[in-house]
Amino acid sequence: MLNKSRKPAAVPIYKRIIVDAGTQIANYIIILFISISIGALVIYLSGMDPLAAYLALIKGAFGNGIKTADTLDRSTVMILAGIAGTIAFRTNVINLGLEGQLYIGAFAAALVGFSFTGLPKAVHIPLCLMAGMLGGAIWALPVIYMKLRWNITELVTTLMMNYIGIRFTEYLIAFPFKDPGARLAGSPVLEASARLPKLVQGSTLNIGFIIAIAIAIFMFWFLFKSKTGYEMRMVGLNKDFAAASGISVNRSYTLAMMMSGAIVGLGGAIMITGFFGRFLGSFSSGYGWDGMMIALLAQNHPLGVIPASIFYGALANGALAMQSATGVPQTVVVMVKGTVVFFVTVTAFVRIIRRRFTKWVT
Amino acid sequence: MAEAIAVENITKTFPNVTANDCVTVSVEEGTIRAVVGENGAGKTTLMNILYGLYQPDSGTIRIKGEEVKLSNPRDAISRGIGMVHQHFMLVPSFTLAQNIVLGVEPQKRIFIDEDKLNESVQQISEKFGFDVDVRKLAMDASVGEQQRAEILKALYRGADILILDEPTAVLTDMETKELFVMLRNLVKSGITILFISHKLREVLDISNETTVMRNGKVVGTVKTSETDNRKLAEMMVGHDTIGGRIRTSCDVKDAILKIENISVLDTRGLLAVKDVSLELCKGEILGVAGVDGNGQEEFVEAIMGLRPVIKGEIIIGGKEIQDLSTRGIRESGVAYIPSDRYRSGIAMDALIWENIIAGDYYSEPYSNGLSLVMKEILDTSGKLVKKFQVSTPGLKVKIGNLSGGNIQRVIAGRELGLNRAKVVIASQPTRGIDIAGTEAIRQMLLEYANRGAGVLILSADLDEVLAISDRIVVFYEGRISDAGYWDENIRSRVGQLMTGGEGEYNAK
Amino acid sequence: MGNLDLGSIFTLTLFAATFRMATPIIFATMGGIFSSQSGIFNVGLESLLIIGAFFAVVGSVKTGDPMGGLLFAVIACLVATLIFALLHLELKANAIIVGLAMNIFAAGMTNYLLVEMLDATGVYQSDLIIGFKEVHIPLIKDIPFLGDMVSGHFPLVYVAFLSVWVVYLILYKTPFGFHLRAVGEKPQAAVSIGINPKKMKYFGLLVSGLMSAFGGTFLSLSYLNLFAEGMTAGRGWLALAAINFGGSKPVRSLIACLIFGFADALAVRLQQFGLPSQIVLMLPYVSTLIVLLVSAISDERKKKAAASKHRKLNTAKA
Repeated sequence: MLNKSRKPAAVPIYKRIIVDAGTQIANYIIILFISISIGALVIYLSGMDPLAAYLALIKGAFGNGIKTADTLDRSTVMILAGIAGTIAFRTNVINLGLEGQLYIGAFAAALVGFSFTGLPKAVHIPLCLMAGMLGGAIWALPVIYMKLRWNITELVTTLMMNYIGIRFTEYLIAFPFKDPGARLAGSPVLEASARLPKLVQGSTLNIGFIIAIAIAIFMFWFLFKSKTGYEMRMVGLNKDFAAASGISVNRSYTLAMMMSGAIVGLGGAIMITGFFGRFLGSFSSGYGWDGMMIALLAQNHPLGVIPASIFYGALANGALAMQSATGVPQTVVVMVKGTVVFFVTVTAFVRIIRRRFTKWVT
Repeated sequence: MAEAIAVENITKTFPNVTANDCVTVSVEEGTIRAVVGENGAGKTTLMNILYGLYQPDSGTIRIKGEEVKLSNPRDAISRGIGMVHQHFMLVPSFTLAQNIVLGVEPQKRIFIDEDKLNESVQQISEKFGFDVDVRKLAMDASVGEQQRAEILKALYRGADILILDEPTAVLTDMETKELFVMLRNLVKSGITILFISHKLREVLDISNETTVMRNGKVVGTVKTSETDNRKLAEMMVGHDTIGGRIRTSCDVKDAILKIENISVLDTRGLLAVKDVSLELCKGEILGVAGVDGNGQEEFVEAIMGLRPVIKGEIIIGGKEIQDLSTRGIRESGVAYIPSDRYRSGIAMDALIWENIIAGDYYSEPYSNGLSLVMKEILDTSGKLVKKFQVSTPGLKVKIGNLSGGNIQRVIAGRELGLNRAKVVIASQPTRGIDIAGTEAIRQMLLEYANRGAGVLILSADLDEVLAISDRIVVFYEGRISDAGYWDENIRSRVGQLMTGGEGEYNAK
Repeated sequence: MGNLDLGSIFTLTLFAATFRMATPIIFATMGGIFSSQSGIFNVGLESLLIIGAFFAVVGSVKTGDPMGGLLFAVIACLVATLIFALLHLELKANAIIVGLAMNIFAAGMTNYLLVEMLDATGVYQSDLIIGFKEVHIPLIKDIPFLGDMVSGHFPLVYVAFLSVWVVYLILYKTPFGFHLRAVGEKPQAAVSIGINPKKMKYFGLLVSGLMSAFGGTFLSLSYLNLFAEGMTAGRGWLALAAINFGGSKPVRSLIACLIFGFADALAVRLQQFGLPSQIVLMLPYVSTLIVLLVSAISDERKKKAAASKHRKLNTAKA
């Protein structure tokens, strides 16, 4: 097998760096722009005013302090799901089980939340959150074991564990942990000592948001400044190279999978202890999947996940206001989200942008 | 006798290399022509041209006297040429028969006529005296059976000229004997065979004539009955010797690396390295020659802990390392320049400093507790880049942007730059690198040895091995033979051993 | 839990319900098998089912005929898979991500169009929806036991079972099927014969769209004549589980579909008795995991056995 040597670069290298960075930013902006435009087109085609609709949406999301706070609250679970997706993708682990890990983490937190009474807040809350992380991580364990021991692709196993997780929690709240008084299927209500303190009066925003931001910042440090993060990134970029250099590929895969599960599990825990106050069946409208898409949109950069999540949060929060103000249904927002993802998947797009940039720079 | 296939003045160049240089070969109908040469001699390129996979830059191809143009494999197939590649192209879940007729299946209305399919394959198989159970699934068939199916595939499509690329590389002795019986039968029916191999013993056994290639040119064509292993090997590797290092002999007590009777499995679970022993002295450069695929890759991977050693010991400076992790092995003082640099040598999308620090990042001063100490990392990386003259605008550039030669310098810098290694394993270190880079890397290895480390250099390029080695051993079919110390006859000795000539096993 | 009479759970209607509940899964599975055999794991089956279900209702309302609904569904699904194909095969987007994106997009789009085209939120139910009618097979319907199970189903149920046979025939008995499978299993072999892998993959994807259209149509135009948000309820994922379970083979995957359909039907029945249906609903996914495990372990054993056999042969080489 002959190793073909690469031809020297035709373009001077410093210009290539500009092209690299510029491409990333341009990609991000252009995708968002196109998706928003397509949303506008859809609205226009259904006979309504896109500008008014978007304005109503923005007002609904950021119109005043309370609304902004609510938007940030909505983005909390997205940030965590996005970070969970990021750490997995960076290590080249395909974790499609975020939704299931979210549910398990949420339930674990709820369990600790309603099972213990008389605990001070300073103890109860961390316990719940840690339970959430543990739940998510444990749910990821069988997947990584099967991958390392028998080389069974995590693509399929995480998908399966997803639905097993969701059904399992459904079972738990329908039978052993049923709350007889509730109208909607759910667990018993959490103790007050397990509830996250609010940040803004009149809004649902709670310290969960701070925790999510902290995790994002931590992940930035972890991936780019820590030893282990470096290992995981190298494994993700080229596992053969990593192995030949002495890095333990299996260890990196395991860490990636478990951290991913733990972080999205934490997201579930925060949703329950912060927003819902009990574990509700079907509480997630696909936040796990959104997280994956956000990670892609942010090009797997932890800090980039924050604005992307806030964007998603704004879409979610403003959609209702848009609907009541202009009559444009919320589902337009889902389509915008979907379009974003379509374009993100198209790497050819990136190539075209790159080529244009290169021409412009040289 | 009529001419079956011929080429005249075929030239084919690729970006860095002239693969075929005015090649002229003519093969008689109903004969077996062996084409031999080292890696990179140009034989595979020539065969690919004959099969329409490449188009020559200049020259002509003649089939049965008629000048033809072969733009793709379909053209070649329609003219009666069939090729059996080294790596089989069978669909595992199909039966051998289904594989054989793939693309030209007999049909009954819109369905496949299964009976006719099996019948017609059986017919062809019997016609040429093949003994194959064609109803077997390809994945259940033995390697020999799969190969026969590949040959039948060509014959089914009416090939009367067969090109076999290293057909015995994957066969046992017995399977090889069976294959040769079949080939002789085929030839009796008028089929012409071109047989690429580096195993001269087999070539002498089966072929009528042998064409030897070297560096893209035809060295000569001889009647097999009028030549022998030694003469062919000499034609293959040439007479010239390249000057090199002052050769010293090794003080056996000074062995820095001892390999004792190791056996290693390949990815299929078969023995790739069979009971190999080796000793490397301090300050010695030991060349490991051999055609690709004789077990060297697995050997090196085993030393580096990337592949398990199922038997035997590897000892460095008195410490057994065969059960250690790759990191443990590196910490014992082993540096490794892998042969496939884009696969195991670097991560293309990672930055230069990220590639440089991969072996050392976890220890002081490059990390402190849980985090990396960027100042030290960038400092050292900068020094290495300068010392090894890597041409790059900065350390935070993706390494994929650099040229091949520069990438190899980075790898060499990483492995050799910190002067800590006691043993250096360099596999194909200058493959595909330009002259300046090649010189630089050879120089680095020489310096390392001069400072007291042991250097193991593996290469399929004989010139590379001969240029700097003190002593050479040769890998052939999983075993190692000693070609001894460098002298004016080293080249022919190595040539013989590379092609299966007699030699003593295991080099001490 | 009171006294449970197993006889009241496992009735004939349960088995009949199995066929009914398995039908949409069978359609999606057979379609998915086509694309899987050509080398693309179509993660977007869920989206195709919901698109099929929605446009079937739209078509039925517009044409007043369930066949019209089927036609609309087929066209819509083919367009959707064409987009998938273009993104993956021409623009080189990752197939998994495109599939997931389609799931998200289709959910939103169908809900949006529900409001725009049918003026309804959440559910659309109307007399304008003309669904299929049950088929009562003469003679067979009078056979005790068997008759109740086999006769009286909606036509698409029979089509579903027929499709298994058709898929089997095409994949294993026609040259086209062989070429498709070669592309999925060993592309180099296919290319060396002159087969165009891209063309085959297009086919594979389009067929998965076509058959999912049938599956979606069944959901909204047979047992229930309505469209509801999220009515596919994860059947697309079940199809993927079935494909995996059956190793992408039609008959084996059919068995999985029947097991999953049975689990579905049983879950409904158990719910009526106040028993945990969720555990039963977990079965398809758990069983897929088990199958993966078992086949990985047995593969490992086979490989070890073969290797030691070859090693004995190989050591004969001196």
